[in-house]
This record gives sequence, C-alpha cells and structure tokens, in this order.
Amino acid sequence: MRGLSKTLVYLYLGFGLFFVVFLMYCGLKSLTVTVPKNAQINEVVTFTMHCGAEPRIQSGTYTTQLLAGMMVPKSWNARQSMVLTFTSPKGNGTMRIIPDTETEPVSGLNWHQAAKKMFGIGPNLVDDMEWIVFRSVQAYTFSNNEDIDFTVKATCNVGAENMLVSLGFYVGSSIENLRQEDTDYKKFTFSDVFEVMGADGDLIDFVNPQLGTVQPVKSLDNDIITLTFDAGVTNTVLDAESNIYIKVNAYDTEGELISSLNQPNEKTKLTDVGGLRYMIDLWPRGFFDVAKNKQIARLEYYFTDQTGTKVVGYGNTDEPFKFTFRCD
Amino acid sequence: MKSPKFIKLLLASVVCFCVFQSCEDEATAILVEEPIKDIAGTWKVIQIHRNGEDLSKRMKFENFQMVFKADGTYTLSDDLPFLVDGPGKYALNDPQYPFSLILSPTDQEEHLPVKFQFPIVEGQRQLSLNLSLGCTSNTYQYVFQRVIAE
Repeated sequence: MRGLSKTLVYLYLGFGLFFVVFLMYCGLKSLTVTVPKNAQINEVVTFTMHCGAEPRIQSGTYTTQLLAGMMVPKSWNARQSMVLTFTSPKGNGTMRIIPDTETEPVSGLNWHQAAKKMFGIGPNLVDDMEWIVFRSVQAYTFSNNEDIDFTVKATCNVGAENMLVSLGFYVGSSIENLRQEDTDYKKFTFSDVFEVMGADGDLIDFVNPQLGTVQPVKSLDNDIITLTFDAGVTNTVLDAESNIYIKVNAYDTEGELISSLNQPNEKTKLTDVGGLRYMIDLWPRGFFDVAKNKQIARLEYYFTDQTGTKVVGYGNTDEPFKFTFRCD
Repeated sequence: MKSPKFIKLLLASVVCFCVFQSCEDEATAILVEEPIKDIAGTWKVIQIHRNGEDLSKRMKFENFQMVFKADGTYTLSDDLPFLVDGPGKYALNDPQYPFSLILSPTDQEEHLPVKFQFPIVEGQRQLSLNLSLGCTSNTYQYVFQRVIAE
C-alpha cells in the first residue's frame, strides 16, 4: 500500500514537470534580420527583425508583452532617436523603452545592462556598444497552436562617424526574463558588417582585428586608457619579439608637442596578456606629467622592440597610430 | 466539569502569552538608531574598475591613498587619476544614510559629489566611490580599504 502511494506521488510530480516543460511551451521562432549594407552619416535607417510565436499550451492561455531590442554603438545616441514598431496578426503598435529604474529579475541589472551581459557584443572587437530594450505597451494572449509571424522595425539615426560595425538584435517575452538556460523565449542575432560612411574623420572599425587599439574609444586625458598591440593580426617586424614597448608623442589642442616618450623602458613596456596580445594601461595626464593648465588633445604612437629600432605603425606601415581624445 | 489537565493547559497558555507580550514590549522599547558614518582615517585603493573591467591586476596604484581627517579635510597621497587633484574639504550628504561624498577642493569653488557606498566586506569597512574621470560615458569604481583609523 505504501509502495503504491509513493508511486502515485512520483507519477504526480512527473506529470507536473511534463506539464511545465512541454505543455506550457510558447516559444519564439528563430530571429532573422534585414539590415542594409551601408548608410550615410546621420541617416535615419530602418532595421527589420522577423520572428514569430509558436504557442503549445494544453490548457489555459499564455499572456505576455513583446520585448525587442538592438545593440548599437554608443556614439549613435540611439536612446534619443530609436523608435521600435511591430506588426502582427494580433495587432500593431509602437514599443516603449524599458526605464532604467526597472530591474531584470534574474540578473538584478536594468534590462539594457542585463541584455549586454547576456548577449555581449557579438563579433565586434571593440566594446563601445549599448543594448537598448523596448517593450510593447499592450499584452497579448495566446491560445494553443496560435502560431503567428511578426515583424519589428527599428528606425535609428546612425550617427556622424564613419564606421564598420555588427549590430545586435533581440526579441523576447516579457514574463520570461533573461535566463541563461532559456533558448525558447529569447532570440538574438548579430548582423553582417554594416558600414556608415560620408564623414571626414577616420574610420572606426569595430569588427576587423587591428594591430593597435585604444579603449575606451571615447576618452579624455584624465581617463585611464588601454593601448593594445595585437601581434596576431598580421606578420610584422616585431614577430620574434617578446618584449614590446610604445613610442608615443602627446600633442595639445594647438598641435604643439607636449611630451615625447621614445625610450624603451619599464614605463613604456607593454604587458604580455597572452594570445600574442600586449597591453599598457595608462593615465595620460600622469604618464606624460602634464601641467595643470595643459590638456592633451591627441596621441601619435608606434610599437617597438627593446632596441627601439624595429617599429610598427598604423596598418603595419611607417605612419603612426593616432588617437584623439574626445567624448562625442 | 473540566478536567485538571485542561485547567493546567489553560494556565500555561496564559503564562506564555504574558511572557511573549512582555518580550514584545521590551523589544519595541529598544530604539536602534543608525550610527553616524565615520570615514576619518587613511584609506588605500585596493580595486579600480573601469566600465566594469577590473584594472586592479594591471595597474599599480598601491601608493594611492586618501586621508580623511576628523576636522573635515582630506588629502591625496599620490598622483593618480581622480576627480580632484588636490586637498580640500569633504562631507557626506547625510551623516547616517549617506549616498554621496561631497569633495570641495581648496583650489576650486565647485562642490563635487561622488556616489558613495560604505559596505562591510569580510568584517572590514570598505569605501566605494563611483565617478567619471574624463568622459561621462566612462565610469570608474574605486574601492578603498582603511589602513589607519583617525
């Protein structure tokens, strides 16, 4: 008798688990995106997400709000200009950005930070990106097998800088949150390379490996910046060297040379961080011992060996790498 | 006629009620006042995060110390990136529940608020300041540990 009741309990629990896992499934179809290959600076561009819902509900209904978001370079200031709308057989609407004050329950972060933590920056190599997540105003109720396809359109000003970037896209269900193990209710993807062109300035290349990079991309001379030499990108005269140094000049806003550090020594030595990558973290104002009334506007630099004779410049040429301090 | 057992149970219940009631009165009578946060002392940096990235293992900043004196003044002991680069006065926005530390450098007229947390980690107070040094899009978290009390 006791054995029978134990079996019944297990059966009951098994049924409950089956119900939760299988019968309440209301997943999303895979996400595809339509992204133009390029755009002019300051153009308002439309990006389209194609997705769908596949409700498999044996009893009751499934009610949720639609979530959708994009990852774009911070320089686009997309929070100011991005508009998301959706069309579906269950209704059309404009979505609202989720307030920063609202916490995504699983991560404890706001939804935008949680999306960045969950989805990252995809194939981009430089992290100057932000995820922005929107939610439909209305909730929608699904019954069993009520499969639908829907489209989310995001329009956004693409900023004033030349760049190559891979954009991120996300579609989800508001009641499911961003759970690591969930693959049904959160769909995300990254676009092929999208180019913004037409500006006078340099090209910001987020996607192609570069010999030399500076992070954060937007910095002033009182920030702490990291200069990276990625020796794995191409063959250079420094291939056989294990000790890499920096030769750097700092200029003020008038173009006058403030300071020049050209000697390979402990101060100018990069740290080997593995994977043929070398880094140096520096606080420019302290590194160049800049007077209080002076400001560093830009840097020009090379990577070199212990003797200072082998030198690698921008694109593996004799031209220096250049970095301009700015926030916009 | 009720049994003596029932009467004993009733009496025990009344006694218990009175005891618990008195405890509650006692407990509510104790007023717990949030202590004033005292940051006076010498604090050294043990961690710096830039945009969430830990720079602590890559940068040398063990000599960077801040001294907060009981008279409301502060000094910086090393030349490292910070919101201010000279001595001045400090104050907490609220002595009991502070969420910002206000720095007033001697050579500036401005009062510079810095986001402030005062957690206890592994039994020791830490002072955590969130600030931007250059571009506002770059955020830094400085975590200090007290090395000398004032």
